[in-house]
Amino acid sequence: MLKKTLEFLISLRTAVWLTVMLIFLLLYGSFIMPVHNEFLALHTVALFDWMREMPVSITWWLWASIAILLLLATNTLVCSVESIIRKRGARQWLLIMSPQIMHMGFLFILLAHLLSSYGSFKAVTFAYRDAVLQLPNSFEVKFNRLNADIDPSGYITNWAADIEYFKDGRSVATDRILPNSPSFMGGIGIYIKTVKVSPFPVAMIEVSKEPGAPWALAGSVLFIAGMVTLLVLKIAREEESNSPFV
Amino acid sequence: MQDSLPIMAVISGACYAFGYYRTPFVLVGLLLQISYLVLRGIALGRLPLVGPHDTLFFLSAAIVLFMLPVVRKITGSKMIMHAAIGLAVFFMGLSFFYKPHNSPLPPVLRTFWFETHVAFSFFSYALFGIAAIFGVMSLVRGDTEENVIQYKMVLVGYCFFSAAMVFGGIWAYLAWGTYWLWTPKELWTVILWLFYSLYLHARLRQWWKGRPLSVLAVAGFIIVMFTYLGVSLFMKSSHSF
Repeated sequence: MLKKTLEFLISLRTAVWLTVMLIFLLLYGSFIMPVHNEFLALHTVALFDWMREMPVSITWWLWASIAILLLLATNTLVCSVESIIRKRGARQWLLIMSPQIMHMGFLFILLAHLLSSYGSFKAVTFAYRDAVLQLPNSFEVKFNRLNADIDPSGYITNWAADIEYFKDGRSVATDRILPNSPSFMGGIGIYIKTVKVSPFPVAMIEVSKEPGAPWALAGSVLFIAGMVTLLVLKIAREEESNSPFV
Repeated sequence: MQDSLPIMAVISGACYAFGYYRTPFVLVGLLLQISYLVLRGIALGRLPLVGPHDTLFFLSAAIVLFMLPVVRKITGSKMIMHAAIGLAVFFMGLSFFYKPHNSPLPPVLRTFWFETHVAFSFFSYALFGIAAIFGVMSLVRGDTEENVIQYKMVLVGYCFFSAAMVFGGIWAYLAWGTYWLWTPKELWTVILWLFYSLYLHARLRQWWKGRPLSVLAVAGFIIVMFTYLGVSLFMKSSHSF
């Protein structure tokens, strides 16, 4: 039994067919999402909180995808370990390792999604000058100044807000938030989405927490590093032997 | 200058048509296409990669750009080059059905992460398109050389596409506070990435080698086209270009 399970998990055939199943589930999901308004709320709460609240009739494909991803993650891990052990004596070790680095990156990204699905948080609010927001991590943020650049045609070309963090009534830091340039404090991000200048300046602010983000970044760096190494080594080997890389 | 740009694009299309007879015309066509993109970029003060007009035109140029070094190295390259030029001219023609997006970009799109995300996506789409051409040729002629080049195109395209996804994730995190959004476009992007991951893993198994892999390469490009155009046309998404 144990041997059969290990054979199943170590098999490349398992990886291929799990991927096929996952593709079909996501295909189904992509057609289901636009026709059910319940999916609109998915942007505002953590995935697992949302899935628990919603009927299984519209979430079953997500549950099934998670189950397949768990199997695929196990398969990736077991295959990588087996490959490293089996080929440890090989000459072109880096060429053998680079796909395993990519696999590791993939696993990190899956872990990131798992963490975000459990503990992400998002809230949107409007802030005026001198408005104070209470953050979920016991910090307070004050909006000292809102600024908008307006071109001669009246189009708002850019916007920013100067903010100040407080803890227990004491100022602890200041920062400036712009589009694509949020501010982070204690694991919480403050984003300025847009501003309106008339009749008085007001900014649309988003507060979010994405616990998987550092893992996703680490996974992405690993994946790209492995991928570039693999590509460079394959090209170098092709040039050396003048044979097509395989 | 802006008025002469469409003429330049039309001439590049004509050069591609002449390219069926003489290859240097293809080079001239590509240079004109690149000039069109550069001049348009200078006029706009940004990379011209917003909206279907610009992206289809960019895709067309990228197909020719990647195809030229490939066809130099293979036998029976004429037919493949003709097919690639046909695809490039098709996308260029399609781009003229859409109005160019000339208005200033919203601040959220004025970032390195967005520009590289889009440029890398279309480089990968071009490479997947060329892989599909090799897939069709392989299915028709049963040539193994074409399978090898098809794999190379997919591998390099996969690298670009993975990098595009990473850069898109970083941009989304900085712009919207999350590296992942639950929209049909994102799902289709993952489907596409999984599909080419499947291709790269399946080729290591004997059963998939040859015709099944060529079928995958062709099917992959159909998914590319739906991810790029179909999702935007038929489904609500954050990627409304």
